[in-house]
Amino acid sequence: MEDRQRRVAPAVTVVALSSPPREQTRAVYPDQEAILDRAGVPVRWESYGRGDPAILFLPTWSIIHSRCWKQQIPDFARRHRVLTFDPRGNGGSGRPGDPAAYGEDEFAGDGLAVMDAAGVEQTVVVGLSLGAQRALVIAGEHPERVRGLVLIGPLLAADEQPGAEREAASRFTTDLSVDEGWDRYNAHSWRRDYRGFVVFFFSQVFSEPHSTKQIEDCVSWGLETDAQTLITAEVPGINAARVRELCARVRCPALVIHGDEDAIVPHAIGVQAAKLTRGRILSFEGSGHCVQARDPVRVNLALREFIASLAKAEERGGL
Amino acid sequence: VRLTSREPLERTRARYPDGGGYIERDGIRIAWDRYGSGGRAILLMPTWEIAYSRVWKCQVPFLARTFTVLTFDPRGNGRSDRPSAVAAYNRAERTRDALAVLDAAGVRRVTVVSWCEPGDDLALAVEHADRVEALVLIAPDLLVSETPNEDRYQRVGDWPGFARAFFADAFPEPHSTKQIEDGVGWALETDADVIQRGLEATWDNEEPHARDLLARVRCPTLVIQGSEDRIAGAARGPVVAAAIADSVLMELEGSGHGPHLRDPVRFNVVLREFVEAPAPREVRWTRARSRRKRALYVSSPIGLGHVRRDVAIADRLRELHPDLLIDWLAQDPVTAVLERRGERIHPASAQLASESAHMQAESIGHELHCFQALRRMDEILLSNFMVFYDVVQAEQYDLWIGDEAWDVDYYLHENPELKSAAYVWLTDFVGFLPMPDGGHHEAFLTADYNAEMIEHIARYPRVRDRAIFIGDPEDIVPDSFGPGLPPIRDWTEEHFSFAGYITGFNAAELADRAAIREELGYRADEQVCLVTVGGSGVGAPLLRRVIDSFGAAKQLVPQLRMIIVAGPRIDPSTLPTAEGLEIRTYVHDLYMHLAACDLAIIQGGLATAMELTAHRRPFIYFPLKHHFEQNFHVHHRLNRYRAGRRMDYDGSPPEAIAQAIAQEIGRTVNYRPVDADGAARAATAIAELL
Repeated sequence: MEDRQRRVAPAVTVVALSSPPREQTRAVYPDQEAILDRAGVPVRWESYGRGDPAILFLPTWSIIHSRCWKQQIPDFARRHRVLTFDPRGNGGSGRPGDPAAYGEDEFAGDGLAVMDAAGVEQTVVVGLSLGAQRALVIAGEHPERVRGLVLIGPLLAADEQPGAEREAASRFTTDLSVDEGWDRYNAHSWRRDYRGFVVFFFSQVFSEPHSTKQIEDCVSWGLETDAQTLITAEVPGINAARVRELCARVRCPALVIHGDEDAIVPHAIGVQAAKLTRGRILSFEGSGHCVQARDPVRVNLALREFIASLAKAEERGGL
Repeated sequence: VRLTSREPLERTRARYPDGGGYIERDGIRIAWDRYGSGGRAILLMPTWEIAYSRVWKCQVPFLARTFTVLTFDPRGNGRSDRPSAVAAYNRAERTRDALAVLDAAGVRRVTVVSWCEPGDDLALAVEHADRVEALVLIAPDLLVSETPNEDRYQRVGDWPGFARAFFADAFPEPHSTKQIEDGVGWALETDADVIQRGLEATWDNEEPHARDLLARVRCPTLVIQGSEDRIAGAARGPVVAAAIADSVLMELEGSGHGPHLRDPVRFNVVLREFVEAPAPREVRWTRARSRRKRALYVSSPIGLGHVRRDVAIADRLRELHPDLLIDWLAQDPVTAVLERRGERIHPASAQLASESAHMQAESIGHELHCFQALRRMDEILLSNFMVFYDVVQAEQYDLWIGDEAWDVDYYLHENPELKSAAYVWLTDFVGFLPMPDGGHHEAFLTADYNAEMIEHIARYPRVRDRAIFIGDPEDIVPDSFGPGLPPIRDWTEEHFSFAGYITGFNAAELADRAAIREELGYRADEQVCLVTVGGSGVGAPLLRRVIDSFGAAKQLVPQLRMIIVAGPRIDPSTLPTAEGLEIRTYVHDLYMHLAACDLAIIQGGLATAMELTAHRRPFIYFPLKHHFEQNFHVHHRLNRYRAGRRMDYDGSPPEAIAQAIAQEIGRTVNYRPVDADGAARAATAIAELL
């Protein structure tokens, strides 16, 4: 046990985890759930509540699915139309065998298709981690469909130093024959011990003490997919040049929320994302990568404030 | 409610204009002001001729920190002209005045805020939609619904009587004496003739016209309506809001006609939110577990006694909680002491309006009517509370400590939903007491203030987590809070804990008087008389009087060495001189001199008097005239300690002072010893909250 502790980040204790047998009771259930078909790939989406503006919570990396928004959905569904969908590769969506099916433009296309299927013209788009890339694609290439853009711990190619996770990903296909620390971010290691990777990864995501429940949740969602699916899905994201280009084309107000102890994506990247999108940065001191799960109250309040400010900005036509 | 009609001249404001002047239309001059220069622009419309731009005194200092704020005085009051033609008071002229003010200020678009307006604001928004981005209507006076008081104020008659009745009706909330007095004071700056002209002029608030305007308003509109509005009637706000397409109605339960003056905290917060300050580009939030323990200490700047005990308490508190970070929200002269100690002064402290400058402005000669001065500080207190509000909204403190922080204590009880940390109240006196020559009216006012405080505590016992009296139960005056109210001591014993007195220094360190005298250059055969009025500018007359006594005193006490300490706010060159007399601007480590002297002559402030008591030094004190705290509370406490000789400034010519010096200097005293554990006791009680 002591050895294992030393191998992971110093502040983190790896907790014994058990995946729950079935999904726990939700606070609110969707009013509408359906599966749409995008060139043969099924995309499972959900709609909750009603009210403007609608909010689209995008999926992040396929290691988890739309339940990662479980602390936001009930709060916002009381006042807004809330849309979520599962990413290709996890949850109720398909697991295509072709890596090309996992490009960011495909995820963005899924998001737009969900909006179309739900009959929603415009949404506030919220992206978490890797999901920030597809959020930028939607906001940059379809600005007329986005009223506001929120990026949480955005994983973007940037001028800033990438985090340990991206660095590890650069050796993804090299067999290091090591199943320790960030060397676990590796196709060979996943095939050997996928669960071990998932546990390790989320212990890094939630660097805050007392995060057992958040880690357990994510691990259980991680185990709803498998090593091979994630290996297939491991394709290059959008590059730094395109990030800049998309950011420059964003027309709506933007908010970036980023923990200053984020062990996956350095805080400086969030700061840069806010600059590029001419948005605001809300820094969470003492927080890790997934603040929407670990500090949901403050995140929800910040989102509410942001959404309220959109209406005002539109009313008055800015300063 | 009986009201004084003689309002003393306006003295200190919380904020003065940054620009402005006069516009002239058809030969009529209209005075306007600009405050601040950033963000969106807000035009605070004057109400009808009964008052003028000062009705916004609780909003201007707060809003000007974020926005560009414009005000103007209406034709017929304030600094604007009082034309003799009735037509000059037609309400349409007011709309044109407003536009001219916007042009003069170079402001294109504004949010228009109006109080009790009969439609000028609507005309602006409808006919000049390009100039008005939003509207805020407080208690709109549009005749769109049944109202009980429609005709009551249509004839002037006795103008002061009219004004008193009007403002008593405008502020039906209990304990509104200050708001009513202010209103009457503004009303009396104009006269019945002007008001009569205003009433005869053309108003456009009749129903058909008002309905037409309301239907044409397109900008976002906030309507604020009190449920106890006896002037416009509570029903109008909802009708007005319903008739405006893009409107929000805010109903204030229990509020009268002027919520911006009677409930300024809530009003200001709502207004700022509505106008919308530009959101900061960068915000930080620290998750609860990652936060270091933090306290915000609000130390009263009136006198230096508070800060000395406050740093003693802070030191003890840090001993009990070594991880505790203390920020100070404070102002001059407190900040000077804190800076020397390297304490953390919150940057927002720079935004505080000066309370000590106000107190100085309120004093005349050796006189400070501190109860009235406190009442007349309402604008400054509110402005400073709004600074406190912004600080505690933006940053997470575990604990707020207010040492006679009247703004924090009063407005927290008026807005208890804003309490988001543990809160400690410290004071060395309880109860406002009337001066005998203030008559029934002052007795009524002090009782009203005491009653409000007692009601505050009874209704919201959760606001003060600790109330600590700096002293012992025996230090409490044997008076009552007022007719029908409890004895002060009984009530205070029930609602406070007692720390004992806190001098803020370790008396043992100053016990070796001979050594200190040598260090300070005082010879053993000298009789040193120190004359000090602390850091205030109030004390010059007393210094002059004592200087005048020096010759006679020196004859009676040949060994006399008199040192006058002018302090930072009194220019020594304005004081008379005398052969052999020493006048100093500043004395380093004054506390050591006080410990070493043979006699001190001081005002009646508690801190210096108790410091001398602790050092067992003879002293003569002159309470400031009409200063109820010095005359009653401090006097009572010093009697208990058998300390000091009280003299009254008015009845003490220089010869009498010389006689007293001769009798008191070097005298052996039998004072009651001063508690040395007060700071530790207070800190222990506070530490439990962390």
